[in-house]
Amino acid sequence: MYVFGKGFNYGEDGPGNRLVIHLSGCNMRCKWCSNPNGFSPTAGKRVTAEEMLDEILSCKPMFFGGGGVTFTGGEATLWHDELKPLLISLKKEGIHTALETNGTDERLPELLPYVDYLMMDFKHYDGETLKAFTGMDNGVVKENFAYNCRRQIPQHIRIPLINGFNADGAEGFVAFFTKHDTSLTDFEFLAYHEYGREKWQTEYQMKNAFITKEQLTKFNQAFANSGLKVIKT
Amino acid sequence: MNELFTKGEMIARAKELYLEERALKRLDGWFIAKEIETEKEGEFSHLPPEEKKARLLVEVLKNIPLSISDNAMFVGTQRDAFARSYALINPSFTVEGFSGYCDPLAIYGDIEPNEEFPAERIQKVKAQTAKSETVKKLNAVYKKAEQDTKEVLFFVEQVTGHVIPDFRPALKYGVDAIIKQAKEGGDTDFYKGAAIALSGVKVLIERYQAIISEHLTTATPTRAQELLKMQETLTAICGGGAKNMHQAMQLYLLLWQVMCMEQAPNPYAFSLGNVDRIFEPYRGDLTREEVKELFCHFLVFFNVGDRSWAISQNVLVGGRDERGNDLSNETTYAVMDAYYEMNLPQPILSVKLHANTPKKMYREMGKFFFTPGVLTPSLFNDDSLFEVLQKNGVDVKDIPDTAVAGCQEPLIMGQDSGNTTNTWLNLPKILETVLTGGYSLISGEKLTEETPYTLKDIRTAFYTALEKTLDRMVEAGNGCSVALSDWKVPFLSSFMGGLTYGADARDPKKQGTKYNGSGCLIHGLTVLADSFIAIDRFNEKYPENKELLVNALKNNFVGYEDLHAFLKEAPKFGNNIKEVDEEAKEIALRVSQMVRSRKNYLGNPFRPDYASPSTHLTYGYWVGATPDGRKSREMLGYGVDPLYGDASNGLGFRLLSNMRLPFAEFNGGYASHLGIDPKFFRAESLEDKGEAFYENVVRPLFFNEYQTGVNPFYLYVNVTTPETLRKVLANPQKYAPSGVYIMRIHGTFVNFLDLSPDIQQDIIKRLDLSSTSIA
Repeated sequence: MYVFGKGFNYGEDGPGNRLVIHLSGCNMRCKWCSNPNGFSPTAGKRVTAEEMLDEILSCKPMFFGGGGVTFTGGEATLWHDELKPLLISLKKEGIHTALETNGTDERLPELLPYVDYLMMDFKHYDGETLKAFTGMDNGVVKENFAYNCRRQIPQHIRIPLINGFNADGAEGFVAFFTKHDTSLTDFEFLAYHEYGREKWQTEYQMKNAFITKEQLTKFNQAFANSGLKVIKT
Repeated sequence: MNELFTKGEMIARAKELYLEERALKRLDGWFIAKEIETEKEGEFSHLPPEEKKARLLVEVLKNIPLSISDNAMFVGTQRDAFARSYALINPSFTVEGFSGYCDPLAIYGDIEPNEEFPAERIQKVKAQTAKSETVKKLNAVYKKAEQDTKEVLFFVEQVTGHVIPDFRPALKYGVDAIIKQAKEGGDTDFYKGAAIALSGVKVLIERYQAIISEHLTTATPTRAQELLKMQETLTAICGGGAKNMHQAMQLYLLLWQVMCMEQAPNPYAFSLGNVDRIFEPYRGDLTREEVKELFCHFLVFFNVGDRSWAISQNVLVGGRDERGNDLSNETTYAVMDAYYEMNLPQPILSVKLHANTPKKMYREMGKFFFTPGVLTPSLFNDDSLFEVLQKNGVDVKDIPDTAVAGCQEPLIMGQDSGNTTNTWLNLPKILETVLTGGYSLISGEKLTEETPYTLKDIRTAFYTALEKTLDRMVEAGNGCSVALSDWKVPFLSSFMGGLTYGADARDPKKQGTKYNGSGCLIHGLTVLADSFIAIDRFNEKYPENKELLVNALKNNFVGYEDLHAFLKEAPKFGNNIKEVDEEAKEIALRVSQMVRSRKNYLGNPFRPDYASPSTHLTYGYWVGATPDGRKSREMLGYGVDPLYGDASNGLGFRLLSNMRLPFAEFNGGYASHLGIDPKFFRAESLEDKGEAFYENVVRPLFFNEYQTGVNPFYLYVNVTTPETLRKVLANPQKYAPSGVYIMRIHGTFVNFLDLSPDIQQDIIKRLDLSSTSIA
């Protein structure tokens, strides 16, 4: 596996204080990506699963407050075959695991028994629009979402709100989500930001992408009116 | 007092008062005081030293020019006790300017001759001071240690200031009661001297009363009301105890004034102690806002002259009792409000935290950490302080009174003479002489005698050399302490336990305080750890080739670029790499134990203190290239922190390395700093950011449930970025329109704009944000 970033935070990428490991490579090309330096699957440093396990175990004193390790990316599930045994080992060691994914891994359900906290992006309900902005459609994402609802697997859905992309589409999201049993699903809106702007080697293409308070309010209201649980982490 | 003002007026007057102080470009009071002493010395030369000093002090207090500003709500000043000389805020400070000699006469170079103070007048007093026994003894000590101090294998100094007086009994019972206690102490030189020195407070009060009476003849009706109130307060405390907050603060300031005058011109780093607990008993029915208003005026007192020259005076709030109960109170928050409101360069604010610190405290601290240019309190882990101090012989009942003398050295208020900055040890310089066979890589001069050894035995050779260096350092340090003891401090001693123990706090034979020790500031811990590991790596690749390494160091790696890159690649402290972190732990343990095994002038242990108050720059300047890849003359690591640039994996990894250090050994204290990028704290309110700061920084560092040893007990932070600071420097009118932009540098606040350029650049460089990033 290749790792292009790692660090700790409290409560932002799962519960408690967490070691967040950014695995390299991504199958999407979101124009607003805040970690474009992780697009390449060989970005950063090569690490064996064994080395990674050792490092995570050496960080135990920092997993306070119910914390643990979070795998993110890039897109962490591109390393599905390496990640799965690592997650199994971590579970054996009693480490709390979290996965942040764009939901495009068809075999995602295979990882879930070893993931304590799942964070999944749901960027757009319309596959064509998603493809135009990221290069991927949302068929698998929807399937994974539905699977989790069906199997009563808790999931934390993150929706990046971006003007000109999805920030006026609250109804479309609600229409899709309400078709499912979302009793164990919560949602979070991530307002567009430009924290990663300076990491782009090529020209940054996003313009007028910040959302207004009104747009955010509309999302909050639409979700609340439909009984969808919105949280802020 | 508050009732005389409309809302906001009292604070506005405090701000005016500060501006008046900041307009003062000369500080001549200390010289006048020395001149008075010189003139009167003959008159009292027949007296024992304690009484002589006390009478000279009273003469100074009788004759020093005094005034009261129209904006003042309290009388008093400590202005006449300080010279414009402290290095960090002196614009002429340079890293290269270090001298291995703490010259007691250098102060006379800090007063600019003018018409009133011509050069001959200054020279006359200087010549008289030079004749004193103390100066002669100090000269002898420095001469003997010169070979060691000129390139800072170690450094020694006579320590003035740097303790925490306990004025609580004087506030409660009044100065007359303390004088009575001194008189009843016994017919000894010390008690006689103490009683006379204590009477100096009443001399001051009477003089200020006379000035107020004079002002009353011309004052406006509004000001007259204020003056009458001040007069009433002075009458109440002229011998008697304080009955309300205004009286308590006023009496406190006058005691402080006399204490500082007794040590003019160098009474640096006295601490006030836990002021919230000192003053809360006098709050009565005053509200938080009213206490804040008074405290704003109280704070201005501690700012001296144009650059707030009375540096490193520490105010503490918060903390716990022996059972872990929180001791914060309404005054705690009023004090914090006043600090935030005034945002002055001095005095320094520190907060003692513990497991039961209320969440409210963290929320209220958010405004300090996340408002650009506003002071940030330094943080102490009181739970750890209890463990560390108890382990080192302090009675648990005394520990709630722990405060900070100077930057971060924990001492017990009114009971502990820590002689904190007595000795300074430079570990990487010792390594240098060991590697080179006793030669300096800077000057080429032979500095020490070393026994030959092979590189694989570097540790043994180093610790052997360290033992010898410590012996020489301790002799010189104790020499300084004994030399200084001729300059008695009967007034201060009365608030340090002297009235119980019957001896001066500086007495070299009889212990005048309950606790006593001498400090040793240990420099370069992490450079040494990184160097040992780099030498291990070198030995694996180039066995038996010491010459290659030494030649590379001698040439500052020029022509040895590949070797330099190889050494830089070796594991470095601060990245959660067990091998090097354990090395740092081992060094800290061994060095601490070696330092603690040395005895000071009273036979008490030296106290290991891993602090480097800008001396990581000045001492680094005298250390050649080191095996970890650090280049010649570059800075050393600050305190126990990783060397700048060597820890680049973010905060969590740095804290994991940090957790391995043996904090229980650091009873002299230690320094650690985090430069934190505010972008990681995205909560909307300052209060929420304060809570996030607790979760991300304070909790893992201080209250980590997985720590097996003692958790760290000290931290200061600067929450900013290098870009922001560069903008402030480039355009101060825009980013700091008040002329004040507060930053922290080790234990103290500083006005960033007042600093010498070298120190400004050090602050920017040491933010080292890659070592503190949050994912």
